[in-house]
Amino acid sequence: MLQIRDARRVFFRGMPDEKVALDGLSLKLARGDFAVVIGSNGAGKSTMMNAVSGALMLDQGSITINGTDVTAMPVHDRARHVARVFQDPMKGTAASMTIAENMLLAEMRQTPARLRRGLTPARRETYREHLSYLGLGLENRLDTPVSLLSGGQRQSLSLVMAVSGEPDILLLDEHTAALDPRTADLVLNATLRAVSALKLTTMMVTHNMAHAIDYGNRIIMLDAGKVLLELSGEEKARATVPDLIGHFSVKSDRMLLGA
Amino acid sequence: MDILSAWIALIPVTLAQSLILSFVVLAVMLPFRILAFPDLTSEGAYPLGGCVCAVALVAGVPPLPALLLAAAAGFLAGCATAFIHLRFRIHTLLAGILITTMLYSINLRILGKANLPVFNEPKIYDWLAGLSLTGSWAKILLAGGLALITCLALNLWFATERGTAMRAVGANSDMAEAQGINVWRATIGGIGLAGAAAALGGGLMVQSQGFADVNMGLGVLINALAALMIGEAIVGRRTVMRQVAAPFVGALVYYQLISICLAAGLPPGDLKIATGVFVLAMLAAPTLGLRRKGGGTPAKESFRE
Ligand SMILES: Nc1ncnc2c1ncn2[C@@H]1O[C@H](COP(=O)(O)OP(=O)(O)OP(=O)(O)O)[C@@H](O)[C@H]1O
Ligand SMILES: [Mg+2]
Repeated sequence: MLQIRDARRVFFRGMPDEKVALDGLSLKLARGDFAVVIGSNGAGKSTMMNAVSGALMLDQGSITINGTDVTAMPVHDRARHVARVFQDPMKGTAASMTIAENMLLAEMRQTPARLRRGLTPARRETYREHLSYLGLGLENRLDTPVSLLSGGQRQSLSLVMAVSGEPDILLLDEHTAALDPRTADLVLNATLRAVSALKLTTMMVTHNMAHAIDYGNRIIMLDAGKVLLELSGEEKARATVPDLIGHFSVKSDRMLLGA
Repeated sequence: MDILSAWIALIPVTLAQSLILSFVVLAVMLPFRILAFPDLTSEGAYPLGGCVCAVALVAGVPPLPALLLAAAAGFLAGCATAFIHLRFRIHTLLAGILITTMLYSINLRILGKANLPVFNEPKIYDWLAGLSLTGSWAKILLAGGLALITCLALNLWFATERGTAMRAVGANSDMAEAQGINVWRATIGGIGLAGAAAALGGGLMVQSQGFADVNMGLGVLINALAALMIGEAIVGRRTVMRQVAAPFVGALVYYQLISICLAAGLPPGDLKIATGVFVLAMLAAPTLGLRRKGGGTPAKESFRE
């Protein structure tokens, strides 16, 4: 379970270009929730993800994961609870290391590194199995440096790494946005399969409204650092793409008029 | 013929010297290649190790503990460089220059004067006197054995979970952190390890040459860098094992090349320009090669700033 209470984060405080990225944002996800997060550019979606992962500290407010207050916990300690896939395929993997070594790093999120052999035959077998679910043949290239993979392959690997060890919270920030349509579909399908098979509590940011309608059990729309709209259950089932886009246009009309 | 015989006569001395200095080459490789942390601390950690070792020997500390003390001091120097980079966000190179500069004064304090002879104190190389091995051959065997052990130990280390985590910090530090790796601890530990290697080299050198000098570090870094480039050109960097072996292979070859230059009559004062041109050529070669194939400018390597 994830709870964000009254989160506030201001960039460039006190300067002319002061920017309130999170403005008293509150949010609660139950265990197993799959929330699709939408909102216009600059709404604060990535900032919220960074705050949950610990990459960004809050000015105010708190974040609790499964009852543990993680507000002040550094990224490397929070990694035990939170895994994420970034938009940029380069960010989620270590390029100069092999596929197997990257998988090992992901495994060590749950069991911190010790002074014992890393890539044992048993582990390699496990990694081979986990990678085979992707159907990309990566399971036969365990010793290939990740730098030789395509963006889509790297992103698929990032996904397998993120879901390994079943994190308490899975964060996906436009993780298919940099991929061509076919590869994006492939990665998205792998995501949906993993999330439902492992019942992961997930937040997925997307600009694709059809995905927001079709996937997940909740829609969360952010605007100006706050939750503007929350749909679940019946309401989500009834929502249509034009509905969602309507909420965007209200805002942009307001922006035009206010300008 | 003259050059050849002059060079051959120098081989044992040069071998001993290169095996001792291979630890400094290792101290340049670890931060630069494994941790993406270009670092100059070894220029100060090497004489630090020498000074600590000499003072310890004079105080009656046996040779091996004296070397361990030297390595410990070098470890702290490396930790200091890593810490000021991480804490104050000072560029890694500048952090290393700061520590090296301060180390000069510290080394002088430790030594008490610019130069301290240790001719009459026992040396670690005396251990092999029982095998009636003396002079250069004792040094070659001892420093060579130590280099071999270090090389194997590093290979084992980088195959452990912790060693893999350390490599990840150099490969992609944000990603490493997101995988639960404590980037501070890995960086400080890794740069400390490099400092320890450089200082160990300094200690071995002092026990070999029979004196310590506060200026013994001058130019050791550029030599080490040149040796590293040669080593990497010979064995490559494709696997961890090759990357770890490169400093040792490079040191062996580089100091023989220097020895050939000297045997050929190159004035010692001109060696630095030869080394500088050589390093420049090695660094520039890939850019020239790519352009010839029409490939444009080479990919920029990303280092921490
Ligand atoms: N590191 C930073 N420094 C300064 N300002 C930032 C930083 N990160 C985000 N911001 C600002 O905070 C606001 C929210 O940005 P954020 O990246 O969270 O938006 P987003 O909803 O993810 O948008 P997009 O859909 O474009 O990804 C923006 O105005 C942005 O300029
Ligand atoms: Mg974003």
